Amino acid sequence: MPARSLRAHLLRMLLPPVAALLGLGALIAYYPSIEPATEAYDQSLVDIGIALGSHIRAVDLGFRLELPPAVEQVLRADRFDTVYYRVGAPDGQAIAGDLDLPLPPEPSDGLQYYDAKYKERWVRAVAMPAPCGSATCSVVVAETTVKRAKMAREILLSNVLPETLIALATVLIVWFGVKRGLAPLARLSEEIKQRSPADFHALDAGKAPEETRPLIVALNGLLDQLSAAHRNQQRFLANAAHQLRTPLAGLRAHTELALSLPMPDACRTQVEQVHEATIRTARLANQLLVLARAEPGGHAGVQGRVDLKAMVEGIADEWVHRALQRDVDLGFDLASASVHGDEFLLREALANLLHNAIEYSPRGARVTVRTGMRDGAPCLEVEDEGPGIPAAERERVLDRFYRMPGTPGTGSGLGLAIVREIASGHDARLSIADGAAAQGCRVALTFPHGSRTDE
Amino acid sequence: MAVTTPFHPAMRLLIVEDDAPLASGLRRMLEAEGYAVDVTARGEEAVLAASQERFDLVILDIGLPQMDGFEVLRRLRAGASAARPMPVLVLTARDAVDDRVRGLDLGADDYMAKPFAMPELTARVRALLRRSQAHGDPRIVHGPLAIDTVARRAFLRGEPLELAAREWAVLEVLLAKVEKIVSKEAIIQAVAGWGDDLSPNAIEVYISRLRSKLEPTGIRIRTVRGFGYMLEEFKEP
Repeated sequence: MPARSLRAHLLRMLLPPVAALLGLGALIAYYPSIEPATEAYDQSLVDIGIALGSHIRAVDLGFRLELPPAVEQVLRADRFDTVYYRVGAPDGQAIAGDLDLPLPPEPSDGLQYYDAKYKERWVRAVAMPAPCGSATCSVVVAETTVKRAKMAREILLSNVLPETLIALATVLIVWFGVKRGLAPLARLSEEIKQRSPADFHALDAGKAPEETRPLIVALNGLLDQLSAAHRNQQRFLANAAHQLRTPLAGLRAHTELALSLPMPDACRTQVEQVHEATIRTARLANQLLVLARAEPGGHAGVQGRVDLKAMVEGIADEWVHRALQRDVDLGFDLASASVHGDEFLLREALANLLHNAIEYSPRGARVTVRTGMRDGAPCLEVEDEGPGIPAAERERVLDRFYRMPGTPGTGSGLGLAIVREIASGHDARLSIADGAAAQGCRVALTFPHGSRTDE
Repeated sequence: MAVTTPFHPAMRLLIVEDDAPLASGLRRMLEAEGYAVDVTARGEEAVLAASQERFDLVILDIGLPQMDGFEVLRRLRAGASAARPMPVLVLTARDAVDDRVRGLDLGADDYMAKPFAMPELTARVRALLRRSQAHGDPRIVHGPLAIDTVARRAFLRGEPLELAAREWAVLEVLLAKVEKIVSKEAIIQAVAGWGDDLSPNAIEVYISRLRSKLEPTGIRIRTVRGFGYMLEEFKEP
C-alpha cells in the first residue's frame, strides 16, 4: 500500500462537501434571482395580450381582430425573441395571428402561463381571456426563450464564478497550508536525518507546534529506550570481554605452565595444540568485541585528536617484543600526523595490521610502520616482506572470515574486516598495494584531508 | 639462579585475583621463578594483608567482586611508605583504554590486558622488581656488568671499565629500561645535559662504542629501526 498523502487525504475529505455546499448555494441563490426576472418577462407578454385583446371587434356573426400593421409590428418587435400570438373566438376557433400556436394543456378561464413547443422551439406562453362584447374571446401570446436562457446563464454564471473561485482558494489553502503546517515536521525529520546513529539526545520540542508535541514526546521516549538498550549492549560487551578473557587467561597460564614442565613428547604435542587454540580463541574473542564496537553506533568511545606518531610510539615496545618472538625486524618511520577519531579503535586497527604483517612474514624479514602526511592527508601504513596479497584478492580479503586460499596458520579472517570497519568509521581510505621491490604488501589508511598536523 | 636474578630469593609477591584457575596458574609459574607467592581472591583481604606484611610486588586484578581493583589500588597507595616502594602490576580483562588511564593515574606501575603470555608477565615482574630494588640503591647489576651510579664506576666481569661521560649517560638511560625500547629522542634528552645539542648520528656513535665494549660479554643492545635502542635482558651465553 502506497504511503497516504496527507494533502490528498485532506483534499479528498474536504472537496466533496465543499463542492456540494457550493452547488447547493448556487441553486439556492439561482431561484430567488431568476424568479423576478421571469415574472417581468411574463408580464410583458401579458401586456401584449391585453393590447391585442383591445383590438378584437364583434362583426356580423363573429369576431375579428382589427390590428393595424404598424401596431402588430410594434407588438411583435423584440431584440432577441420571436413573438407569436393567437386570438380565439368564444367558441375556441382561432381567428387571428399564428393559428396553430399551442393552447394551454388544461383549459381554464383565468390567466395561464405555460411552456410549449412551437415550430420545433421552446416557447413561453401566456393565455388570457379577452372581453369581446358580451362574450369572452381568448388571447395567447408566446415568445421564444432566447433572452430568458441568456438571463438564466448570466445569473448562474454570476453565482457560480465566485463560488468556483472559493473552491479553488480552498484547494490552494489546503495545498500550501498543509505544506506550511507540516514544515516543523520537515525540520524535525531533517534533524533526525542529520543525526549520528549514536546520538540519543532528546529532540527539542521547543519550537514545534502543539499538535506535533505528542510525536516528539513519543520519539524522545523511543530515543531514551534506544539509548538504554545501547548502554546495555555496551555493558554486555564489557562484561562478555571480562567473562571470556579471565578464564582464557587462566587456561593460557596453565598450558604455558604445563609446557614448562617435563612431559612425554606425545603429550607435549597435544598440550601445544591446546595452547595454540587458547591463544587463537582469545584473539578471536577480542576481535569480535572490537568489531562490535567499531560498527556504526556500536561504540561510545572517546572521540578526539589523535597523533598517529604518538599512538604508534605508545605501542611500539609491545609490538617490537612480539616481532622479536617471531624473529621479525619491526622498524618505524614516524612523522607527526594528527587525525580526529577514537584512539582505542585506531590502535586496534594498527594492531590487526601489525599482527598480520608479523604473522605472515618469514623469519628475519622486515616490517615497517609509517605515519605522516602524504599529499596533505594523514596516513598510517604497515609494510611487510611477506607473501603479499595478489591484486585479485585485495577486495575479498576485507570480507569477514575470508582467508586467502593457501594461507598458512589459523587466523580468523577478521583482522582486515575490522580494519575496514574502523577505517570507514573514520572516513579513511583503506588501500592495499605491493610492497617495495614487488615483495610483500603495503596496507595504508589514508585519512580525510581536513585532519591537519597539530602544531 | 643467582646469576640470572640478582635478587634475594625470598622476594614476596601478592596475587589478588578471584579467578581460581588463573590465580593458581600465576602462583605456580611465579613460584617456579623462585618467588614466595601469596594469593587472595578478595580486595579487602589484600588491603589487610598489605597493611600487616611486607610484599615486594602486588599483582592486582581490576575486576574483583565487591571491593574492585581500583579501590584496592587507592588504599594500597594511601597506606604506602615512600621508603619502601611496593610496585603494583594491574591485570585487566576490560577494554584497555579507560582502565589503563585510571590504573596509571592511581599509581599502578604497569598494566597487562588479559589474556597475557606468561613469559611476558614474568619479564615485567622482574623489571618492576629490579626498578624498585634499585630505588635509592646506587648499584645496578646487569649480567656481568655492575655499575655504581654515585661513585661513577663500572665493572665488567669484575674488571674496571672505562667509559666516557656521554657513554655513561647513554648506558644509564638504557639500564633504567632493560628490555624496553628507548627512543633516540629520549636518549638525546637525557644526554644533552652533559654538553651541547646532540644529533641522532652522535648517539649512534656512542651506542657503537658501548657495543664494542659490552658485546663480547654477551650484553646486547638491539637497534629498533627508525625508533631507538633496547638493552636486552641478559641471558647466559
